[in-house]
Amino acid sequence: MTCNPAVDRRTILKGATAGAALSITPLRHVRAAGTPVKVGVLLPTSGVLAFLGQACRRGIDLGAKMMAENGAPAVEILHVDTESKAEQGRVAAEKLIREGCSVLIGAFDSGTTISAAQAAEAAKVPLVVNIAAAPQITSQGFKYVFRNFTPGATLVYNAVARIKELSSLTGVSPKTAVLMHVNDTFGHAVAKGVDILWQKLNVPIEIVDTISYSRLAKDMSVEIGRAKAAKPDILMPVTRVNDAILIVRELVKQNVELFGVIGPGSPGPYEKAFTDATGKYGDEYMDCVPWYDPTRVKTRRAIAAFAEAYPDQRFELNVGFSYEAVEIVADAIARAGSGEPGALQAALRATNLQDHIMYGGPITFDETGQNPNIGGVLLQNQGGTPKVVGPAEIAVAKPVFPMTPFAER
Amino acid sequence: MVRRERKRTGRPRGVVAATAFFCALFLVPHLLDDAWVAVLTLVLFFAFVGQAWNLMMGHVGLLSLGHALFLGIGGYTTAVLLQDYGMTPWIGIPAGALVAAMVGAGIAWLGFRFSVRGVYFALLTIAFAEFFRILFSNWPLIGGTGGYFLRVVPEDNVPLLSLRGGADHFYYLFFVLFLVGLIVSARLVRGRIGMFWSAIREDEDAARALGVRSFRLKVLVVAVSAAMTACGGGAFALMNGSLFPNTLMGMQMSIQIILAPIIGGLGTLFGPFVGAVFVVLVLEFSRDLGQTAGVYGLSTLIYGLTVLGVILYMPEGIWPRLVRLAQPLRRDR
Repeated sequence: MTCNPAVDRRTILKGATAGAALSITPLRHVRAAGTPVKVGVLLPTSGVLAFLGQACRRGIDLGAKMMAENGAPAVEILHVDTESKAEQGRVAAEKLIREGCSVLIGAFDSGTTISAAQAAEAAKVPLVVNIAAAPQITSQGFKYVFRNFTPGATLVYNAVARIKELSSLTGVSPKTAVLMHVNDTFGHAVAKGVDILWQKLNVPIEIVDTISYSRLAKDMSVEIGRAKAAKPDILMPVTRVNDAILIVRELVKQNVELFGVIGPGSPGPYEKAFTDATGKYGDEYMDCVPWYDPTRVKTRRAIAAFAEAYPDQRFELNVGFSYEAVEIVADAIARAGSGEPGALQAALRATNLQDHIMYGGPITFDETGQNPNIGGVLLQNQGGTPKVVGPAEIAVAKPVFPMTPFAER
Repeated sequence: MVRRERKRTGRPRGVVAATAFFCALFLVPHLLDDAWVAVLTLVLFFAFVGQAWNLMMGHVGLLSLGHALFLGIGGYTTAVLLQDYGMTPWIGIPAGALVAAMVGAGIAWLGFRFSVRGVYFALLTIAFAEFFRILFSNWPLIGGTGGYFLRVVPEDNVPLLSLRGGADHFYYLFFVLFLVGLIVSARLVRGRIGMFWSAIREDEDAARALGVRSFRLKVLVVAVSAAMTACGGGAFALMNGSLFPNTLMGMQMSIQIILAPIIGGLGTLFGPFVGAVFVVLVLEFSRDLGQTAGVYGLSTLIYGLTVLGVILYMPEGIWPRLVRLAQPLRRDR
């Protein structure tokens, strides 16, 4: 939770009055010609996903600011907090549609996104998904849903491909691996995907054990002990932030010697919270995720603007994909020449953004509404910062592999 | 004399008030926009499942802290029968209610067979809810923790047949459920069974000594409550389009279910609705306030403080307090 020193009793009263007035006034599609197009944003800025939702919000706000500076059509961003509750997706979407939003962006988690998509589809208002990995979001037949994020299977495919490349990139060939995964929606899906793709892509590394653990785990000593006993060359944890920190601490405590720790499509290790908490022990931890392309001028500009606006935060994938969602919407508005939802849907379907910040091909949407051109990179924390070490075409650093033993750091 | 007096004055007035209330509820989609309709749909949902929970706790004194289990059973049964077997929710929802009633009766039978009472019964409900949540989380046929998703409503959808549609449709679906739930509860509570239930709630041993078959009646209330909650779960699944064991069957949902009847007034027929209005609307206004002030989490803070205030100053619930406040007015007339 952030604290705003400018909030006093009067602000609260004004806010309450404005909030109450806003809530009871029906404003459906009331828009005068020439006024900014209203873009509704649904994100979990409070509740269990608040940390990630707030990162997305920073990306949205930065995107809107930079689009305005670049002369894009005027947009007005309206935020609604989904409080990390799936059922709030529909309510939040209805609310934004009522307030005259012609297009929606959201909603970070798959349950909320599906819930919001139902309302958007019924109202025929396009929904641009910034982040949500469930494959069903674009396979259930929605016509107004456009996703610029990798579905679970692609995320894992890219990750496994990057791990397979690692040998040729470093000249070191690990033989065995242990897969660890958090037993939640995401962890379960990724672990299943890794299992399937490992065979399909013929990865020459044997997975000797698969260990799942509770998403509420407070101690990983047993799991790491079991992984250590399997004597793997690499450990592949599918984690969130907190469990990734616990894993590193336990690896150090039990002095586990490995060639490397590589998260296959795992959120967490690239977060500032992770590198701050683990310090030098979090260095050389690898992760395969969709990421920004550090070689592009546009990306460097966005990162510089972000550093100026949020000096204590990190520009990572949540920020990047949210930023791109605004860019996609601004591009569609410019091409549609109107804020009418139907025209925006048609424009979104014809999207072809060549120059954008995230790694991969041009942003386009197939007949299901999915962008099929999103790539995945191999990241490695070096000096407390995640750096792209693969693929070679966009790498900004060389991978350290095998990693430095924890005892020698 | 007193009874005749009540018949002449109290009841007609009550009937008029109730009719006006339901007419107003019926007209909501015609008066308000879809966003408000979506919010009030949540009110009706929590009022309905709160009513179901209230049958057990408010009228028989059986505390369940795992009611999300029945919500999940109803939701998953309806969704799986619709998606995988092409069965209309007109069959899916009653089927879910039947399964939930059987599971509920099974839990109750097991608990009451071994004289599990009070907080121990509450612990038993938590244990079963967690057991089923973990079971569902690891059941590949229903997507496990990855969730179960319903396909998009087709273009040629007939809402009355598919029970799926827009904001107005789901409002009326929950309106009907709420109305039916209220009538069923009123008939049960005010009838012979309700008298026995009250006797069990006040003193089970004394009731048994007087010949009340407490075991059978307690199993019955759990089964009815579970079936009602499952109906709510089925409709909720149709509305959301996706189901996840951790959110639908988790402890947080169980707590959300019981908040409305506790705040509205335990053991009252109208308390769950009043509580649901309070809980959902306070959250809505505090969310707007939080957004306007630009402070993350302010809504949760305001919501928590408001609920705390109600529990402190109206421990018996809002509805009993409102009724008490209305008494002098009635006498004045």
